[in-house]
Amino acid sequence: MFSLFYGLYKYMFSKTEFHVLILGIDKAGKTTLLEKLKTVYSNSEGLPHDRIVPTVGLNIGRLEVSNSKLVFWDLGGQIGLRSIWEKYYEEAHAVVYVIDAACPSRFEDAKSALEKVLRHDDLRGAPLLVLANKQDLPDAVTAEELGRYLDLKKLDERVYMFEAVSAYDGLGIKGSLEWLVEAMERSKRTETLRLRAGMAGPGV
Amino acid sequence: MGILFTRMFSSVFGNKEARILVLGLDNAGKTTILYRLQMGEVVSTIPTIGFNVETVQYNNIKFQVWDLGGQTSIRPYWRCYFPNTQAVIYVVDSSDTDRIGIAKEEFHAILEEEELKGAIVLIFANKQDLPGALDDAAVTEALELHKIKNRQWSIFKTCAVKGEGLYEGLDWLSNTLKSGGS
Repeated sequence: MFSLFYGLYKYMFSKTEFHVLILGIDKAGKTTLLEKLKTVYSNSEGLPHDRIVPTVGLNIGRLEVSNSKLVFWDLGGQIGLRSIWEKYYEEAHAVVYVIDAACPSRFEDAKSALEKVLRHDDLRGAPLLVLANKQDLPDAVTAEELGRYLDLKKLDERVYMFEAVSAYDGLGIKGSLEWLVEAMERSKRTETLRLRAGMAGPGV
Repeated sequence: MGILFTRMFSSVFGNKEARILVLGLDNAGKTTILYRLQMGEVVSTIPTIGFNVETVQYNNIKFQVWDLGGQTSIRPYWRCYFPNTQAVIYVVDSSDTDRIGIAKEEFHAILEEEELKGAIVLIFANKQDLPGALDDAAVTEALELHKIKNRQWSIFKTCAVKGEGLYEGLDWLSNTLKSGGS
């Protein structure tokens, strides 16, 4: 009997869908990243980058990465639209924060928007992947430099990583995504969200 | 689900035709938008009782656009047109702040419909030329668009009489339908 329930539990477990929020200020490359992910991880070709327009709303990508089901929520980053980000926090397993690494004049804006994201209670314990995007551009700063610049406080308890990527040519995308999936699988938050969704195992 | 996708696939790539419903309260500007898109000009309209249907060719996609009358008494009949719909364009009179609450309720009722589960949603925050019109962020807030978590949506500020914002919206529609919808 126990093994039956255990099997069921395992079944539920393996079916967990991870919700990943893609955030960042406008022109960071969030939608380009999402479309690149679609190209890399699914059979369908994502939109070519020249057809991507500023997002005013929500784009969704459902993909399978390292045997896990991921649902990506890509939200618009223009200043008036950032207020809706927090409505998605509660159900998110992790955050991918995209920064245009070739645009130092907007680092400050990116930093303060990120700090606001991290301060929010609904995102407690969510793994964070910061992407120093647009590495295909010659003057893009490295992930380390960006990390130094952002100088994020209070990150100690949060699982996080800085990674240099190019959503345009795909550099670094696979490695960072694999890290993210692993971080979500190990994260306590995933457990909490599962419990909240009423998918607790036997004997609880 | 597979069938749905196959159907969407063939309807988007095969015949490149998409069935789009234009919905919204009465006097939101649905008919004006339809004819602006179809003929490129502003026609004077009367309240629609029943529906108007036109085909609009744009970006290699033939949009079959259904504009359904928006008055309270005929809203229940919207349902008859729901099957096989790839996208819903929801039109809001951004200056009608008194009725935006009703617009929100009707909108979320539409999203609940089983037959529209796979449809993507485009919102036109229309009548931007009128004084006191809410902008896209404010309409997003008022319609509680953030409650949509399992389908793609986008909002555009439009002014149907000037033709502003409409084609940006159609661009989004055609891109999103081509890349597989929801």
